[in-house]
Amino acid sequence: MKSNSQNSTFVDMINVVATRELVDPDLAKHLAAVEALLRAEKDNDRPFLTVLLRTQGRRLEPLKDALLCLAAQTQQDFEVIVLEHDAAPDDAERVKEVVARLEPGFAQRVSLVEVEGGLRAKPLNVGIQAANGQYVAVFDDDDLLFANWVEEFHHASIGAEGRMLRAVVANQSVSPEVWPQDHDGFRTSSWPKAEFPTTFNQLNHLVVNHSPFMSWAFPRSLFFTFGLRFDEELTVCEDWDMILRGSLLCGVTEVPALTSIYRRWQDGGASSYSAHSLESWKASEQRVIDRINNGPIMLPAGAMYQLRDLLIFTEALNGYRFLFKGHRLRQPLGLAWEMMSPAVSLAVRARNRVRRLRAR
Amino acid sequence: MSEPRSLSVQSVLYGNAAEHIMTAGSAISHSVGLARAEGLVGDWALVLGDCSPTQVFTDDSIAPLRSVIESHGGRLEYVVFGENLGSAAGHNALAKRSDSDMMLILNPDAQVSPDALSVLARGLTSDVGIVEARQVPFEHPKEYEKHTGNTSWASTACALTSRTIFNRVGGFDSDTFFLYCDDVDYSWQLRLAGYRVVYEPAATVFHDKRLTIDGDWPASPAEVYYSAEAAILIAHKYSRPDLVKKTIQQFRKQGDPAVLKAIAEYESRKLDDRLPTPVDANHKVGAFIKGNYAVHRF
Repeated sequence: MKSNSQNSTFVDMINVVATRELVDPDLAKHLAAVEALLRAEKDNDRPFLTVLLRTQGRRLEPLKDALLCLAAQTQQDFEVIVLEHDAAPDDAERVKEVVARLEPGFAQRVSLVEVEGGLRAKPLNVGIQAANGQYVAVFDDDDLLFANWVEEFHHASIGAEGRMLRAVVANQSVSPEVWPQDHDGFRTSSWPKAEFPTTFNQLNHLVVNHSPFMSWAFPRSLFFTFGLRFDEELTVCEDWDMILRGSLLCGVTEVPALTSIYRRWQDGGASSYSAHSLESWKASEQRVIDRINNGPIMLPAGAMYQLRDLLIFTEALNGYRFLFKGHRLRQPLGLAWEMMSPAVSLAVRARNRVRRLRAR
Repeated sequence: MSEPRSLSVQSVLYGNAAEHIMTAGSAISHSVGLARAEGLVGDWALVLGDCSPTQVFTDDSIAPLRSVIESHGGRLEYVVFGENLGSAAGHNALAKRSDSDMMLILNPDAQVSPDALSVLARGLTSDVGIVEARQVPFEHPKEYEKHTGNTSWASTACALTSRTIFNRVGGFDSDTFFLYCDDVDYSWQLRLAGYRVVYEPAATVFHDKRLTIDGDWPASPAEVYYSAEAAILIAHKYSRPDLVKKTIQQFRKQGDPAVLKAIAEYESRKLDDRLPTPVDANHKVGAFIKGNYAVHRF
């Protein structure tokens, strides 16, 4: 579907009901009013984008990189809110200095907000409250943007009212290092690899997050019409939680461009992966899953076939349940299955494709 | 305390958008302004050499940029070359128009960070020939020594060099190099003369390079041609006839029109006796490693 004909999933759902031939006219009228309310949200006086930039002031050089990437965007219709979260006093001072040294033309669109206490989501909600943009994006202080990050979001937003926008991200390994002149720096040690999926799959994202935070631009309506906020109880996965709740409500428009680099810290470089325990990750994931599971969800057009394929495959696997002990294949069948399973998977996909082609 | 060193920032333009030059000019002015406030830079100028078929600026359209430069205590010079001199000859020509202590060779559309000039100026000590800034978002993969920053060569996307040393080694070899490897050669000339070539990651410059959606780096036919031509010529100049032969064989096998054209250019120069005299016979500085001019980290 072309981006200029896309509604949010919620509006699509309203339209499906409101345009039924025998729908109660009163219901249709009220649904039309809801749709009108959602469409009235857009305000061209607002900047296109608000960028929420979280930092704890522990990595000044990556923070400077992040700000340079923003200053160099080809589309400059955005504001930046630097959210300094629980930084140590010296680090907070240094963050202030970094912001104070920005080029004045850019600096006038950058604000610095100090946030105390709370977990990873708290600064995001503070930022949301202060955001003026038609869209909101989150860009953490150790990642990188290509020059077209905002421009591609802007382009994709045309005709994709109320939808989340998703661009493609590469990842790159870095590790801490002291640079010449005694700067606390880092060493980049891999090419940017385009390992995250180039297209969005709603069902796959229910299993695990395949899209780093800066892949996304969230429409303002998600926060100020639908009233969503980041879950401040989560120790991690606050991004996945919002991505899931938002995408199920709004739908997703693809941005067919690689526009940013997610830095993976290695060799002692702290990240959310190393700073939180496995238990913390599991508990957060469970909380995200439970919240989605405890309510109804809307899936985008096309999900029906994918769900059917999954269920058919699961049913077929169930026929071979005797091969399993617990959740593991019995030996030596396990080895044989490991060798065969990719081929089986391919065969199932091929079969399904043939079926779909025949059905057209 | 000694007088702050004077600076000339020089860029060679070719068909760039005026607004990109304006943005880059604002960034460099700001960065120089901060370095001046720290006493690291004295008098300074931005010198633009326009090689474009149609000049990028008119007297009127360049006025806002001039105003920005002057508001930071600098001077703007805009030179229209009227022909495409290429990077090496363009920078040599611009270098002659100034007598500043330091020269920043800068891509015309590259946007420096606020700290870039201060860090580079501090890094340009008497034993250093050139100091290179780290490019963002796509960092160059060449290896550098921890703590010292010593490296094989410096990219002139954004690099600071000393005029005295520049003159001592004869500037860029514009007779041999047009667009690529002029910086590799300049770096190696500096190292042959006993100077260090330093990578300074804390100085950053945004260079608008992009990847395809699959993470590939697309190269235009012109980039393929000029880099192929430069690859053969630099192997010749640094006394590696074996590599010249091997590279030509590989290019012939590859069969791409752009690389075949590069071979033809090399052979034409050879026939006309226009090849440079080989140097570095003992391979003291010339590094040819898997098609690169340094060990690469990735």
